[in-house]
Amino acid sequence: MDEAQAVELAIRTVELAREAGADEVEATVSVSRRFHVEARDVTISKLEQSTGKTLGARIFAGGRKASLATSDLSGEGMREALSRAVEQAQFVAVDRFAGLPERFADDAPDLALFDASIVQRAGEGRVDEALELERLIRRNDSRIVNSSGSHYHDVASITAIANSAGFAGAYTSTRVTRSTGPVAHDGDVKRTAHYGTAARHVAELESLDSVARTAAERVTALFGARKPPTGAYTVIFEREVASSVLEDVFAAVSAANVAVGNSWLVDRIGEAVGSERVTIVDDGRMRGKLGSSPFDGEGVATRRTVVFDRGTLRSFLYDTYYARKLGAASTGNSTGNGIGTNNFYLERGTESLAQLIAGTQRGVLVLDTIGFATEHASGTYSRGARGLFIENGEIAYPVDEFTIAGTYGQILAGIDAVADDQRFDSPVASPSFRVAEMTISGN
Amino acid sequence: MLDESVLSQILARALRRGGELADVFCERRTSLAYRLQDGQIHDGSIGVALGVGIRVVTGESAGYAYSDDLSLEALLEAADAASLIARTSSESTSRETLPSSAGPPQSSLYDGANRGHVAQAQYVALLERADTAARKSDSRVVAVNAHLTDELQEVWIATSDGRFVYDRRPMITLGVQVVASDGKERGSGYAGDGGRTSIAYFDAHSPEELASDAARIASVNVEAQPAPAGEMEMIVGSGGGGVLLHEAVGHGLESDFNRRGTSLYSGRVGERVASELVTIYDDGDMAEERGSLNVDDEGVPGQHKILVENGILRGYMQDVLNARLMGTASTGSGRRQSFRFAPQPRMCNTYMPNGQSAVDDIIKSTKRGIYAKSFSGGQVEISKGDFVFMVGEGYLVEDGKITAPLKNATIVGNGPDAMTKVVAVGNDSRLARRHYTCGKGGQYVPVGVGMPTVKISSITVGGTAHG
Repeated sequence: MDEAQAVELAIRTVELAREAGADEVEATVSVSRRFHVEARDVTISKLEQSTGKTLGARIFAGGRKASLATSDLSGEGMREALSRAVEQAQFVAVDRFAGLPERFADDAPDLALFDASIVQRAGEGRVDEALELERLIRRNDSRIVNSSGSHYHDVASITAIANSAGFAGAYTSTRVTRSTGPVAHDGDVKRTAHYGTAARHVAELESLDSVARTAAERVTALFGARKPPTGAYTVIFEREVASSVLEDVFAAVSAANVAVGNSWLVDRIGEAVGSERVTIVDDGRMRGKLGSSPFDGEGVATRRTVVFDRGTLRSFLYDTYYARKLGAASTGNSTGNGIGTNNFYLERGTESLAQLIAGTQRGVLVLDTIGFATEHASGTYSRGARGLFIENGEIAYPVDEFTIAGTYGQILAGIDAVADDQRFDSPVASPSFRVAEMTISGN
Repeated sequence: MLDESVLSQILARALRRGGELADVFCERRTSLAYRLQDGQIHDGSIGVALGVGIRVVTGESAGYAYSDDLSLEALLEAADAASLIARTSSESTSRETLPSSAGPPQSSLYDGANRGHVAQAQYVALLERADTAARKSDSRVVAVNAHLTDELQEVWIATSDGRFVYDRRPMITLGVQVVASDGKERGSGYAGDGGRTSIAYFDAHSPEELASDAARIASVNVEAQPAPAGEMEMIVGSGGGGVLLHEAVGHGLESDFNRRGTSLYSGRVGERVASELVTIYDDGDMAEERGSLNVDDEGVPGQHKILVENGILRGYMQDVLNARLMGTASTGSGRRQSFRFAPQPRMCNTYMPNGQSAVDDIIKSTKRGIYAKSFSGGQVEISKGDFVFMVGEGYLVEDGKITAPLKNATIVGNGPDAMTKVVAVGNDSRLARRHYTCGKGGQYVPVGVGMPTVKISSITVGGTAHG
């Protein structure tokens, strides 16, 4: 299926839904061709390739909303699913905020989302990348004797949206990933780490050498790790861990959470929440980035929204529904059935990570965390962590089996340095940053 | 879904480049869901997943492809893509015969599969009852979100070594999230329930019960004080505490990690891995539980497995591929999220049976510790065994008494270390009444967990209050 055929199918769905009794309809067709190879040592352990198609639709009937997602694209299957959705809408409350947006993207910016070389690549070349990563992690350090696998992944996707207000648009994008998970023996203990790189274009990926070296360093850096003493310390969040903190910040600025009270940032627009170093932006129009697209899941043009400006909370992120509900305008953050990020990033600073470490008296450089946020109402942050203890500006010894705790408010207010090491390996991207003081719980 | 001659053609095509085993997984899944927000039914949705996944196994390698286009041409193309893993010209040694039919299993673990028509209004009524009950139970409740999903998954699995089975798996889920506030502090609480059953389940397990439980936890969390930081004793509550077993031990006993030697439990069957008070089962054949399976996603019957017995490691959870390589049989643990994914060894319902101690005695014997009544989630790193749990409802215990609720505590520890520190096992074992979903390698499957009240002599609590 090509872009034009996907748009045609979306338009046809809109027609079928109208026939089934919907007043307003929006249909989204996604076609993805995926390739994945996993290697372990000298063996190809997994080879997966498929093309999948899904159809999503949101229908509005008498001010009531229902949606569907189906992979059954037969004419009969589509008709049945659509009439069931229309039937279901009758049991939904009338909601004056529900409905299609008023304005849609009317431009076609070239965002460089597609790398043709990925589609043209031969299978062998892609398989070799995974095998090469396996060789490289072992070459980096003789203590690396095993792995949970090295991966090469690529996907080429068509996204087409059409609605009953006359909007129809489509774009094609690619995404390619290299990752590896070396395992090393540290005495009786096995240690593992994961590291990877992702981009829309092969040329923008970190090299195989660099991925393998970073992954290997992450395993061996923790050899002999022990629990740190419990107390209050400076904490440096290394780039990837910093990005996971930023993901939780996104959840708290998502209007869907704000509207239901599940956010510690409710009623705080205009307040100085973070330190001066905290400027956080959502931008859907950055060239070639993973979070970029010409329009969001409702066909609304993406844009640049400043969420925090030098610490001050300026805006939440909205789709059309929650914008109407909270008296704002959509920021182009609809995923079709919720609110998501475009490129959501913390603006980088000017110092290197090494300089952040050198400027730390006593603290912890966090390389990895486990655990996740389950609620955002209280804004409490607590994670299991691994990393390196810092004394007098120097790495002293590795630490693991401890937690870092505080609140997101304390983290944002406590950021006293932001590094220059930003990489857009995911739509949510943060450079490393340092927080003046947090609680470390060890022994 | 596909007739036998088509399945035979697909299997033959899949094995034409070689390979020891091929299987075809056909799936039709239909679901409907409603969401309640601000006291009203906010939206409804329906889902349909229809497709076929084809796998070819050769040695420790697997080729996989799926198709959501059910035409013979598209299915054979997918079989070709899966066959690329086997590049040798060696003839397939497997037979490709199928028994004549795949009827429903003789007896099913889940009666809900045969329910009749359910009026949409019945679903909506459950959500509205939950909303009313949550708001009535505490004046500090400021928001209630509830969701209900009812799903039916049908699978047809055909393998080149002659298995051809069908299963029809229902799953109903009701969840209530409550936010409470006293004007200053906010707290949230969650309660959920369901299983491989039908809407009739909620006749006996009322939405009111669920909603008031969520509201109670939310109010407790409004009053909760910051959790302490540092090492102390831990009491793990019955039911939901079973997340501890799932993370601290269960994942490490999945056979892929052990065959590859990346788990800390690799090669340790027969060795002591826990205190002698610890026995752990993983059970796929319990009636109507979330993790139960008449047959797994490779067509092997769900089974009762002893993982750890009185502290001794007894065995791993096996899928077909890893069992073959380890010279043993599948334990019915091959599971997948959908036809878009190849199977992996996974847990079903993981639990610890009753021990000897009375719960009161466990609390009384605790000098200073945390009582984690339920966990809201957890994660483990399987090589070294380090885990973390987020406490959903937790209390401080001082001098044998429960003294204060604690806010959002996180527990961090190491699996084998924590398991050797189990010093008391209660006599109140039960499965958690909550809908847990387990993620592994990007695939999410429903699971059950359970255990009695258990005491661990020392664990690291990750709060902010430190001396």
